[in-house]
Amino acid sequence: MWMLPELIIIGTAFILLFTDLFLTERRRIVLAPLALFGIAAATAVTLYLMPGQGEMLGGRFAVDSVSWWFKLVFLLSGLLTVAISMDLFDSRVAVKDPNIRARGEFYTILLFSLAGAMYLISARDIVTLYVSLELATIPLYILAAWKRDSLSGEAGLKYVILGALSSGLLLYGLGLMYGLTGETHLDMIGRTMTPAPAFWLAAAMITAGVGFKLTIVPFHMWAAEVYQGAPTPVTAYLSVASKAAGLALMFQLFYRAMGQFLDHWSLPIALFAALTMTLGNVVAVTQQNIKRFMAFSAISQAGYLIMGFLGTSSEGVPAMLFYMLVYIVTNLAVFAVIMFYSNQTGREDIKDYRGLARVNPLVALAMMVGLFSLAGIPPLSGFVGKFFLFSVASKAGFHWLVAVAAVNSTISLYYYLRIVRQMYIEPVGAGDQALTVTPALAITITVTSLSTVVMGILPMFYESVHAQTLTWFLPFIK
Amino acid sequence: MGLLSWLILLPFLTALAVVCVPARRWMMIRWIALAGTGLHLILTGIATFRFWGLAMPDVASMKTATLMKLYLVEQVPWFQTLGIQYHVGVDGISMAMVILTSIIIFTGVLASWNVKERTKEFFVLLLTLVTGVFGVFLSFDLFLFFMFYEVAVLPMYLLIGIWGTGPKEYAAMKLTLMLLVGSAFILVGILALYHASGLHTFDLTRLAQVSYSTDLQYWVFPMLFVGFGVLGALYPFHTWSPDGHASAPTAVSMLHAGVLMKLGGYGALRIAVYLLPDGAKDWGLFFMALTTINILYGSFGAIVQKDLKYFTAYSSVSHCGFVLFGVAALNLMGVKGAVIQMFSHGIMTGLFFGLIGMVYGRTHTRMINEMGGLAKVMPWLAVCFYVGGLASLGLPGFSGFVAESHVFLGGFFGNPWTNAVAMKTLTVIATLSIVVTAVYVLRGLARVFQGPIENHHFLELTDATLTEKISTGVLVATLAFAGIMPWFLIDLIESSIMPIINRLHATGTMVAFY
Repeated sequence: MWMLPELIIIGTAFILLFTDLFLTERRRIVLAPLALFGIAAATAVTLYLMPGQGEMLGGRFAVDSVSWWFKLVFLLSGLLTVAISMDLFDSRVAVKDPNIRARGEFYTILLFSLAGAMYLISARDIVTLYVSLELATIPLYILAAWKRDSLSGEAGLKYVILGALSSGLLLYGLGLMYGLTGETHLDMIGRTMTPAPAFWLAAAMITAGVGFKLTIVPFHMWAAEVYQGAPTPVTAYLSVASKAAGLALMFQLFYRAMGQFLDHWSLPIALFAALTMTLGNVVAVTQQNIKRFMAFSAISQAGYLIMGFLGTSSEGVPAMLFYMLVYIVTNLAVFAVIMFYSNQTGREDIKDYRGLARVNPLVALAMMVGLFSLAGIPPLSGFVGKFFLFSVASKAGFHWLVAVAAVNSTISLYYYLRIVRQMYIEPVGAGDQALTVTPALAITITVTSLSTVVMGILPMFYESVHAQTLTWFLPFIK
Repeated sequence: MGLLSWLILLPFLTALAVVCVPARRWMMIRWIALAGTGLHLILTGIATFRFWGLAMPDVASMKTATLMKLYLVEQVPWFQTLGIQYHVGVDGISMAMVILTSIIIFTGVLASWNVKERTKEFFVLLLTLVTGVFGVFLSFDLFLFFMFYEVAVLPMYLLIGIWGTGPKEYAAMKLTLMLLVGSAFILVGILALYHASGLHTFDLTRLAQVSYSTDLQYWVFPMLFVGFGVLGALYPFHTWSPDGHASAPTAVSMLHAGVLMKLGGYGALRIAVYLLPDGAKDWGLFFMALTTINILYGSFGAIVQKDLKYFTAYSSVSHCGFVLFGVAALNLMGVKGAVIQMFSHGIMTGLFFGLIGMVYGRTHTRMINEMGGLAKVMPWLAVCFYVGGLASLGLPGFSGFVAESHVFLGGFFGNPWTNAVAMKTLTVIATLSIVVTAVYVLRGLARVFQGPIENHHFLELTDATLTEKISTGVLVATLAFAGIMPWFLIDLIESSIMPIINRLHATGTMVAFY
């Protein structure tokens, strides 16, 4: 019963696959609403079951408070991704791309990846964990290459090669852990692990594998090309769901399996965080393509995110979960606008956004809200989320890291302001006129940007994450 | 919802009202803005009277208090799990700052009567910014304070970037980034204090009940002081100020130089010195030295400027130096002078930038050597300019004199923790700036307003319009009022400064060192 959300997603994926076979091209317009309905149903079930605890399949699949929140994050990003991609795939666009087709398969594969991510956080066994990780990532390789042009193909190829490498490293690490403890259950590994030299090798392997998914520097190399080459909806999904899956993996391995060594992680994690946010931000400054730009922005966000692992304070878990929630909503608000703009004009360079505030003031406002929230400007939710993460780092005594992170926020503001400047300060290009906003994107942009504001002002979102997950990791650290 | 919440919310509600008006009805938009700010002025008056009635009975007990006392307090829990509250209140210092802001934004709206390009967005951003400013002055929860602090800084980017002149994008970006780097350090400091206190609260009044370890104070104090100092144009972090003020549109320069730069001094006093007395003792002399450079550098910088706005901006750097100099003097006289200087300089510089905007609107140049003889065609503006100029060089009878004399006396009296000789020397050096100020103010005024009119187009120019007369008249009257009857202002702030000074003296019972 606890697996119901996952089963609904997989069921929907198969229904989509087979419905697609029997529909004429014109009728395939029902596929996106069908996918939306399936994800919405799974979300409803998740909300209903939250925060129940239980296990299935002999303890290999279990749910607890944290896994529910992660599932919510995945479902929400899946829902929003489908919402922003339906216009493109149903050809309700001004500039058509002949390479975008086969929507039935597209939604099916997207849902498989979503199911994989949801299994990932519920897996309690390293074999299940690894299989669900692959279920989450292999569909993404296909999706990245969906456009079948040279850029998209390169993105897919690069992603699959580096992804395989990182999976290999992770598998090696997991294998070592099995060898050291003779256990495959994550909790048992956590209980019986002793710090042998091979353990540190395993930890290093796992760090590399997890770092790849979370785009932690120096494992971020794939991100820019893949983000730029992949179709925009896939980029949006990658930037949120793949990152959330990375975080889920990190929760599983760093808290559940290696939680008793949490103190030892603090310094390396702080260094990784500092490196990631600084490199991401500095490189983002020079980018011209908005998707590539968002890739580096996403890299730097991962740097802030892992600050939650510092120290052994119990506030880290809710802070990271809340930030993830805020981040997906905010990032997808920005991607919805990017999607809208490339649908209507076919352009995706930063300088193409000039004068948007004059012709589409509300869309520009939503974009500005999203960007400011990513930069951590109060009273938007991005600020509140970052503040909680910084507070965790400060509590753990990493004041220098708080300073680095806060200065980095300012650097990030510099490049986010570059887009704001194009939209608000630069004059309108000749012949530019108001662009049509399709209903699906209008609703998505409105909902996401409003939630970006609301989650920062109303405390109840954070309070409920906090109340449910505060004590979650105590059993693992001993 | 109490009075103070209305003071914060009213500008924002006005901004919302402006949002609802269609952009082409710009007449209506500016009337709404004026009505909103006018109403705010009235509310501020009511708040002042109520504050006066509540606070005056406590004056005697505040002489020995080490904890600040707030009035008209409103407290609502917000993010309870972290102990974050919506906590607003008012004491003398914040009351003075609220009065200042309310006057400046009212006159600022009048001074931007002629903004015809994208009027709607202009007033929305201006009113949002001022919401942040009121929030900072009235909030006593550090999280809330920090939030409003950033809300007050960010709209500036668009205000300068869209409506500014000259290298506006560069100036806007420089200003925003430098101020936010400053706030990054403030954030580090605030979080360190939060965790060090162990009280699980961001409430300023409760954080002040803890004495922090000397080590912590030693590194947190400079972080906070420099962080706030960036906004208060502390040397060498002042470089955003001339560019920013010169490029900004009139009302924004008024608001920024008049009010926003005071947030720096206010924060440095209210948070850095108040919470970290030992840190303040250690670093006092260092920051006095920096602010001495500020004072002199600003005034020498003003001498060589050719652009009227850069001229005023450098003079602001010098005058804001007085604020931080007074704060760093760490005695009652100096801090009192600092707060009076915040008020006085706010009004004065608001007047200056308002007038420059009005003159520029007529002559279409801000170059000092292209003007001359303007007093003949615009006598009202010239007289106001003279009043502002004389106030800024510290002529008795205007608030500038009261402020500067307090600050210098404060510096000269010294305090028990700082080398007296060093402090006196710095004060004497800083006092020299009075002469330099007289030189640049008088020279500047003479070149702009005296002499023959060389450019014949200037003969056709007109004097101030009614809105401009009201706007400048209010500011001149305030300057004169604060100069002739300074005791109103001094009474207002003095009992709120006492806890800060008393906390510096370890026992807390000793009467402050005069």
